[in-house]
Amino acid sequence: MILLILLLIPLLVTFLIPFFRPKASTAISTASFLIPMVGILYYLSKFERFEIKLFDVSSPIGEFYIISDPISNAFGFAICIVSAMVALYSLPYMGHRFEEMIKEGEIKDELWEFRKYWFLYQLYTVSMLWLVYSGNLIMLYIFLELSLVASFMLIFKYGYGNRQWVGILYFVWTHIAGVLAIISFLMIAFQNQTAALHGIKTIGFLAWLLVFVGMVVKLPGLGPHIWLPWAHAEAPTPVSALLSPLTVGLAGYILIRIYQIDPSFILTFRNPIVAYGIITSIYAGLSVVKQRDYKRLLAYSTVSQMGYMLIALCLGSAGLIAVVVQYISHAFGKSILFMTAGAIIAIYHGLRNLDRMSGMHEYIPTIANAALIGFMTLSGIMTIGMFAEFYILVGLTEIYKFNLPVIMAVVTVFIISGLYAFYTMRVIYYGRPFGYEKRRFSRLLDVPMFIIGFLSFAFVFPPLARILLSGLKLAFGGV
Amino acid sequence: MMELLILLFLSPIVSSVPIAFAWLIDPKPEWARKLPILSVIGLFISLCAAIYILFNVGSFPPSPESEPIRYTIAWLPEFNINFVFIFDYLSRIMGALTAVIAFLIGVYGLEYMRDDYRLGWYWFFFNLFTASMLLVVYSDNLLMFLIGWEGLGLASWALIGHWFRDDDPLSFVGVIDRKVWKLDYFWSPSFGGWRAISTIRVGDMPMFFAIGAIYLLTGTLNISEIDWSSLFHHIGFAGTILLMLAFMMGPFTKSAQLPFSEWLMTAMTGPTTVSALLHSATMVAAGTYMFMRLSWYIEPWEHHIHGVELLYLIVLFVGLISAFYGALVALGCLERKVLLAASTMSSLGLMFASSAASYWVGKIAVLVGFWYLVTHAFAKATLFLVAGHLIHFTHDRFCVGDTEVAKRIKVAFVATIFATLCLSGIPPFTAYWVKSAMDEVMHDLIHHHMTLPLTLLVLTSIVYSAFLAKFLSLNFYKGEKVHLHIHGGRVMGSAYTVMYLMLFLLLWIYLTRHIEPFTHFFEAGFVKSSLMVGLAVTVSYGLAIFKPRIRSPVGAFLGDRMYMPYLNDFIVPKIGWAIAFIVDHCNRGIDFLCHRAVPRMFEIYSIGVRRIQDGRLERYVKIAVGFILLMAVISVVMGW
Repeated sequence: MILLILLLIPLLVTFLIPFFRPKASTAISTASFLIPMVGILYYLSKFERFEIKLFDVSSPIGEFYIISDPISNAFGFAICIVSAMVALYSLPYMGHRFEEMIKEGEIKDELWEFRKYWFLYQLYTVSMLWLVYSGNLIMLYIFLELSLVASFMLIFKYGYGNRQWVGILYFVWTHIAGVLAIISFLMIAFQNQTAALHGIKTIGFLAWLLVFVGMVVKLPGLGPHIWLPWAHAEAPTPVSALLSPLTVGLAGYILIRIYQIDPSFILTFRNPIVAYGIITSIYAGLSVVKQRDYKRLLAYSTVSQMGYMLIALCLGSAGLIAVVVQYISHAFGKSILFMTAGAIIAIYHGLRNLDRMSGMHEYIPTIANAALIGFMTLSGIMTIGMFAEFYILVGLTEIYKFNLPVIMAVVTVFIISGLYAFYTMRVIYYGRPFGYEKRRFSRLLDVPMFIIGFLSFAFVFPPLARILLSGLKLAFGGV
Repeated sequence: MMELLILLFLSPIVSSVPIAFAWLIDPKPEWARKLPILSVIGLFISLCAAIYILFNVGSFPPSPESEPIRYTIAWLPEFNINFVFIFDYLSRIMGALTAVIAFLIGVYGLEYMRDDYRLGWYWFFFNLFTASMLLVVYSDNLLMFLIGWEGLGLASWALIGHWFRDDDPLSFVGVIDRKVWKLDYFWSPSFGGWRAISTIRVGDMPMFFAIGAIYLLTGTLNISEIDWSSLFHHIGFAGTILLMLAFMMGPFTKSAQLPFSEWLMTAMTGPTTVSALLHSATMVAAGTYMFMRLSWYIEPWEHHIHGVELLYLIVLFVGLISAFYGALVALGCLERKVLLAASTMSSLGLMFASSAASYWVGKIAVLVGFWYLVTHAFAKATLFLVAGHLIHFTHDRFCVGDTEVAKRIKVAFVATIFATLCLSGIPPFTAYWVKSAMDEVMHDLIHHHMTLPLTLLVLTSIVYSAFLAKFLSLNFYKGEKVHLHIHGGRVMGSAYTVMYLMLFLLLWIYLTRHIEPFTHFFEAGFVKSSLMVGLAVTVSYGLAIFKPRIRSPVGAFLGDRMYMPYLNDFIVPKIGWAIAFIVDHCNRGIDFLCHRAVPRMFEIYSIGVRRIQDGRLERYVKIAVGFILLMAVISVVMGW
């Protein structure tokens, strides 16, 4: 019951927050995620699984309930901390963005826009949080849809460049995913006469195929990945810092839940999926180095990291642990990196072109150091990313034994992540300083990154590493 | 024990946090220029802990046969992965060595880096470097070891690229603005750092795979507890080769063996203190140390497994060829630090080779390799610190200086003489005894039908002593005249004086302590063939003092590192960029298809459909008639 109250806090705040002034809203929003975070950490350390019943709906929808197990809690923890930190970061960033928009004559009143922004922001993050605790596929879909609509609104209203076009592009692509998912969920519901996760016994091939394809569009895999650089690059940066770390990875969460009920599809098509994941990851990793826009560059890196998830999904129980750890590690790393990109935009008035950046460490050392932590997390150096790579490799050996081509391919994937990470560090932060001047900026632009960065290190060591990984081992069994 | 470990690992890191913060928060923190002392105190505490471990954890003097002592802290007990610290012969000595050298270089750095613009960064990563190395040294668990291992890579990236602004010509490698066939033959600090971490990454990931595979196959990650022989029997010949070669990719890249040597040369863009630490007891030594530790517990000489034999053969020859290559490059090189870097590569090759010979010769070969590492560490650190001192006073990266320099900077001159004598293997100085034992080891391989190792070793030794003499000669005797800017230098001088005095301490230990393996060194030193090699080495040292330069295309070829940079800077990147180019164009293609072509097609279709709906009856009739006629034609064709 306590968990339900904890989850209700941010939901209630969503409807109250438009009534406060920007500074107060920031504090309230942050607190509304930090409080559940502490609670979730407590449940994470308990390793137990329980359900809280909400209400019954007639067949074939079935019971709506909240599910709490190490998987939900791990995802929920990442969502809470990143949402809280991005909320802090939003205040100076959106202040800057609104000033810019007022200058361009697109909006009139900063205060009024802040009210709308906070409502949408809170709606967006809270729906993601509820998504991972949903015990019913229909409930899960409702929150999926809510998060998509809220993020669409944020891009549409406050994005950069050709934002209406990008917003619609984002809407269409994510709704291809959404529609495929709902068709699949309905098929599952009719087949089992319930959509409650604990009541589902079988999942037909077609339903699996549809949800898989939908989630590959959302994740995204190679091919559909083309929507992501647009959406993530043109969204206002706090939204990018949620879209990329949290939203796209939730596709992995949905696939895990379906996998836990019936893994048949993944087991049958293991080799093609692994191959697809590897190609996605290498392809996107190589795309990264050709980008000249910092946010687009990070977006391609997200595609590459999501390839890890596809690979890991096929690698048995160790692989499933890797999916969850990879989600958290990517959430930490990529939220830090998007915040660094946004900080540069806010401090140097829209600077995001790599050709005009060099030696930025000279001007913004704290942000450069945060970027280093972010890239370390992505490439798994001394941070939680290390465990993601470790479990992928363990799972790989378990499933493929000493299959040289597969091993070499996965190792190449990991190598490329490290290469583009430090290549970007060199291009942006190292080298001859470009000739800007040092500016003072709000501490809210850099402190949130360091808090996430600290957690990224802390998760390597006990007790956090232990409560996370042991809990996941209990949830998935084996290893 | 717990307190001891906290002192050992955390005191360097914690003590450098204040200075790191000072530089992070305040852009011009003149008030914080005294804080490095705190960092050095942290290193000193760590040193005390390491010395305590050397003397008091387990029997003293440490014996190669003694049982290791383990200390476990719970990490992921459900997975049987824990922090396991091991205190055995190798780790106790190596830990003390690392701590001593890091502390002395730290003291030297107090003066050397005094006026730097980024002290917070420097000291934080310097101490992180030390702590990571200590973690590598004392860890028995492979995953915990990997934290330290990656920490080394990260810290080396940070420190090699310390002068990230690329604005100081003194921090480059190579002659600035020189081009050799389409390739810029000079390297900036930011490039050096990037190249270091990218090369290391290529080795670390296969190694990580090997660690994951070992965990899955044996259920444990503790090197000393894994049943290696049954593991190798279980996975068979091909499996053993694959697993262990993947593992050895880590040590090979970290220790800069061929063909991964280039990063070590461009790593000279970092501050000299960093080069000294990197080349003596941390980073590059970590690779060889890891191989020794593995050999120590695999005990290949006991089991004679076919796959392991092939692996050790590969390591032996990679090591020897790298050693010879490195020595030749150093012979041609005229840059102070790059010369020393090439010589380090050469020494590392010898360590690998010697340890790899253990398959045929037994544990003594690992011990020889290990003590060569210890000797080399002190000597190489001394030489690097001298080089830094000279660069400070001459404002020149290249070997310049005549007898004037020797007279004015006596302390550096004396240190160079002793360090080169002790390292090159001239009897009766320190390295002679170890090198003699190494000669013996390679000599034993002749019984296994391999004469090449001994030949390569002797050739390498001769070239090695020649370039050390060249370093001495070109900086203090036969180099060009140079203007000196002498100011201070007392702290620097005392630091490396203590460093080379350690070499004499080692010599004393080798000659007076009658315990294994020193008795063996002592005996080997009096074997006739060793004396012959010693004589040859002395002669080449003497010759090179008087004729230090190779003035011919051969010298230039060697000095340009046999054009190895083409592999790293030309061939590999060209391939990478070509693929990236294709990938980028694929992206544009998909983007065009999904976001321009398809929407445009819908648009055209929609316009077309709307155009026919103009409300005139005539048009609808035409469409209807046309449709009927079309149906008629189709039905005729189909034959209905």
